[in-house]
Amino acid sequence: MKCEYCDLVERQNELEILYEDKDVVIAIKDFCVIPGQITVFPKQHFTILETVPDDVLQKCFLMANKVSVAIFESMGVQGTNLLVSNGLGAGQKVPHFSIEVIPRREGDGLNLQWPTKEMSEDDRETAFLMLKEDASKLVDIGKKKEAPKEEKKEEKISDKTEKGEKKENYLLKSLRRLP
Amino acid sequence: MPEITDEQRKQLEEKIKNMSPEELKQFQKQQCVFCQIVAGKIPSKKVYEDDKCIAVLDINPAAKGHLLIMPKEHYTIMPQIPEKEMAHLFLVSKHLSQIILKTLKVSGTNIFVANGPAAGQRAQHFMLHLIPRKEGDKLMDNPDKLIDANLRAKVKELIEPRLNALLGVKKEVQQTLPSAPEPSTEPIKEDKQVEEAEWKEVEEEKEASQKPAKKSSKSKSKTAKEPKASAGKKSKKSVDKAPEPATEDDNDNASLDDIANLFR
Repeated sequence: MKCEYCDLVERQNELEILYEDKDVVIAIKDFCVIPGQITVFPKQHFTILETVPDDVLQKCFLMANKVSVAIFESMGVQGTNLLVSNGLGAGQKVPHFSIEVIPRREGDGLNLQWPTKEMSEDDRETAFLMLKEDASKLVDIGKKKEAPKEEKKEEKISDKTEKGEKKENYLLKSLRRLP
Repeated sequence: MPEITDEQRKQLEEKIKNMSPEELKQFQKQQCVFCQIVAGKIPSKKVYEDDKCIAVLDINPAAKGHLLIMPKEHYTIMPQIPEKEMAHLFLVSKHLSQIILKTLKVSGTNIFVANGPAAGQRAQHFMLHLIPRKEGDKLMDNPDKLIDANLRAKVKELIEPRLNALLGVKKEVQQTLPSAPEPSTEPIKEDKQVEEAEWKEVEEEKEASQKPAKKSSKSKSKTAKEPKASAGKKSKKSVDKAPEPATEDDNDNASLDDIANLFR
């Protein structure tokens, strides 16, 4: 079974493809949440956001922005959403990374808002500390191709660096806060 | 914001009217909660920061670990942001998404951008939502519908000329000749001209096509019709550059600036 988007590129249907170059395809799908929705995706098959190379990803988003402007100016809508559903849990239906550009009007009934999730201060704090710790390993995004990030199985990993100590403190702190 | 009297409001309006674009920007910045978060005047749970952007935990999260990624500079909507900065924002979101997947052990993430209040934008500072997702959490859940082929053709007809103009500016030889299309040696150029010409026709026909097109039922007719005019006006401007908050006096014209203005 072929990937739906790769298939779309292959069959070259005039009606479906709005634009295409060596990296990016802009298409109108037959199944969408609202008429006027446009899909931007990389031509090459990448499953999720994390597997898309930086330059292709950036190009996709810049294109998506242009699509958004075009929708806004030519379809008489009141706003646009960009939505990336990344991974099964996020409702990704086709195993090919894509950006959906969705035209919006007041009262169109789309479920793109969320109720505030109730959670304890501890939960917030642990999520915060865990994310912060990992994010602190991100250096020079966009400057180096492979930033020293990831390498993390459990939340408890300690480096030998002085930064590691600091991180450990965060973790200790978060442990102390746990009931 | 505290209540203000009518007199104070009048004074304020007067003040705003007399501001230069720079002053206005400065003023907006002062009023913007998120600019104050960026500046550290309002405490936040800051996960990531670099010279261009900042990522903090959302105080009204959809899920545990819901992040807001925003440029340090004040922009209201996406088209105002310079390309380089935007590219950087999305790159950061890629890395942070990866971290969320691994650290919070979720099975997916959403990247969500809202341009305009109708799209659910509540803050006047552009931001990118990064939402951790789990199966069955019922977020962002919208059923797909089969869109009729005719309707899709209409959509294409409506959007293609504008999109080509936008993309063309960036990529291809940009010598748009206003004259009628003549068989040219360069096929690309020819296309361009034809499209320009077609576009004008479409512009004229649009009002007619707009009604049967779709879903204009719910929208106010004013916004449904007007963008035609504003799109026409803007088309000749450089689209590469983000539209400046030009002070358009015509309030009925729904343009990008107006969307931005709705927040004022």
